[in-house]
Amino acid sequence: MSVTDMADIVEQWRSSISIPGKPNEWESKQLLGAVGIAVPKGLFIEAGNPLTAREEASTLDRAAAWVVKVCSGEILHKTEQEGVLLDVAAGDLPAAVATLQKRFPSRGVLVEEMATYRGGEIIIGALYDPTFGPAVMVGSGGILTELYKDVAFRLAPCTVKEAHLMLEELTIHPTLKGYRGLPGNADALAEIVEKIADLAVHLIGEGCQLDINPIVWSRERWIALDVKTIIAEDDS
Amino acid sequence: MERSIYAKPLAMSNPKESFKAIARLLDPQSVAVVGASNSKDKVGHIIFEGLKRSRARLYPVNPHEDVISGHKSYSQASDLPITVDVAVITVRAENAVQIAEQCARCGIENIIIVAGGFAEAGDKGAALEERLRAVPGRWGSRILGPNSLGVFVPQANFDTIFVEHGDQALAEGGGIAFVSQSGSVGVEALGLASNTGFPMRAFVGLGNKIDLNELDFLEFFGAEGKTDCIALYVENVEQGRKFLEAAREVSRHKPVVALKAGRTPSGVSAVSSHTGKLAGSDRVVSGAFRQYGIQRAYDDEELCDAAKTLSYLPPARGNRVAVVTGAGGFGVMCADYIESDNPRARLQMAELSPGTVSRIREKAPAFASCHNPVDLTAGVTNEMYVHAMEALLEDETVDILICIAFFAPHAVTDKLIDQMAVVIGNRDKPVLVFTEYGPFTDTYLKEFYKKRMIGFPSLTRTVRAVRFLVERGRILSALGGEV
Repeated sequence: MSVTDMADIVEQWRSSISIPGKPNEWESKQLLGAVGIAVPKGLFIEAGNPLTAREEASTLDRAAAWVVKVCSGEILHKTEQEGVLLDVAAGDLPAAVATLQKRFPSRGVLVEEMATYRGGEIIIGALYDPTFGPAVMVGSGGILTELYKDVAFRLAPCTVKEAHLMLEELTIHPTLKGYRGLPGNADALAEIVEKIADLAVHLIGEGCQLDINPIVWSRERWIALDVKTIIAEDDS
Repeated sequence: MERSIYAKPLAMSNPKESFKAIARLLDPQSVAVVGASNSKDKVGHIIFEGLKRSRARLYPVNPHEDVISGHKSYSQASDLPITVDVAVITVRAENAVQIAEQCARCGIENIIIVAGGFAEAGDKGAALEERLRAVPGRWGSRILGPNSLGVFVPQANFDTIFVEHGDQALAEGGGIAFVSQSGSVGVEALGLASNTGFPMRAFVGLGNKIDLNELDFLEFFGAEGKTDCIALYVENVEQGRKFLEAAREVSRHKPVVALKAGRTPSGVSAVSSHTGKLAGSDRVVSGAFRQYGIQRAYDDEELCDAAKTLSYLPPARGNRVAVVTGAGGFGVMCADYIESDNPRARLQMAELSPGTVSRIREKAPAFASCHNPVDLTAGVTNEMYVHAMEALLEDETVDILICIAFFAPHAVTDKLIDQMAVVIGNRDKPVLVFTEYGPFTDTYLKEFYKKRMIGFPSLTRTVRAVRFLVERGRILSALGGEV
């Protein structure tokens, strides 16, 4: 992807955000999709709209289990606020959507295929350093990420080679290299880190942050299960 | 930020001119000391006396004296008979700005301002500093400081530092350019380093760096032949990306070690992401330094150890370390250090080839262990040390050698130092020596230094220095691969 492509993608995406400066998870995932990072198949339901039978039948029929989450750029910690329902069977979807809509009447709801995965949860992030500008991070993800602090930083842009060096700094590096029979997927991850770094160059100005946590290995590719984008007000 | 509102004069925008000015700052033909004095308690007196050792012509400036230390004193800078290369302003902040302006108006190219009491001292000082900032843009002079100890260049005998800094011990000079934002950190580091020898190309105290900063000196020392290693102490980095880009260029040719102190906030006003919290203190700095070939140190001792090692020894081609010792316990300890985890560089104990093991055995005492760590026991002699070192250095499984040398055993004599120097000097693999000898330790380390050997009085420091060499090797191959 060329630099101008990336700039265009970011520009277009910025103008499409429903609440300027506060992209929701669905919108952030659209951005990842546009730069070529896999995200779960899903459906965004506007506040108040019920899950219709047609949508249920057409797009939501294949997965064994679903995740239903409240989806708003103004809610950053949805698990803590009981805004996530996991392992929902297809038949229970309308009820699950209704439950969240009742809990968060003015917010949208995101319905997604629940991914099954092997290996660890990874976090990829980006932020703006006051001295050096946009930077990218990769490391052990999941809810314990801040406890383990097993992460590496580089400035953006960052080559694939440099991304590999970041991965080599991590304690969990062996899990990307076939440790205990896990799939060797370091190359694919390094490419995503490079991509996020490219994205950061255009997306991450002062006060901006991006968290992809977790990104996991499912069906032979890395897939971003959760994404948060924080864009500084004056930057939107 | 404030810098940009002033137009850069020619000297600053043209790197060649800028280099020439810095070259004269470090080895001036003529120096004015404004505030030079006959009273022994004045900073201006100490600096002037120190400068008498240099080859520069000296011009004291002080309206209250006629003669200072045998030199005719001038009332003000504009009375000087020539345009000096450097003016050192030793008066306090309130007067220094006006004098700096006068020096600049007279066309003096380099101005060192020693006084503190500027932005670090509240609003009044900040206003003075703001006024000072306008000087380079207006008249083209370069300013070092304020709040700077100035420069110390052993080979030119040029030394504006007015406090003890091991200058006698450092007088021989060497290849390390040491650039420090803090005066006292720099001076104490030098003092510490001078105890056992330190090859110094130049010391530069940046102070509040209203004009000349780490980037200017990184580029200058990076480009000149006399410097073979650059050591930096900085609390904040000006022109972050440009500094890094310059460091990457320099580190293709010579090592850059930096101590970045002072944790900056993550820059995220309301830190709400995991990334922001994890970046927290200064992990971005560590990542950025690594990415751009800068080797990071965390205290003054580590900075000096690393700089000295990188200045004297070749980078390591791999991470396999061999150890030869005359005391088993230290060999085991050393192996433990080598194999412990460390984010800078993973090390491993070399697995010696069978030929090396039997070769060492030929001349080793009966109870010696000839596998790594090679323990020659208390029965060790000079010859055994030398024989084992040669065998280990010729083994392809060895990238680095640590020699644990003890001079207490009766069959080991001081001659070993010369013998080791010959073995080490003939090889392109790095060798580091650890020694302890009670109150004589530093004397031995100094002897090592004179023979261009790197020695440390502790295993921690020895192994830490090895990691810097391995890191340097990796940086070189990474930069080489990317060109």
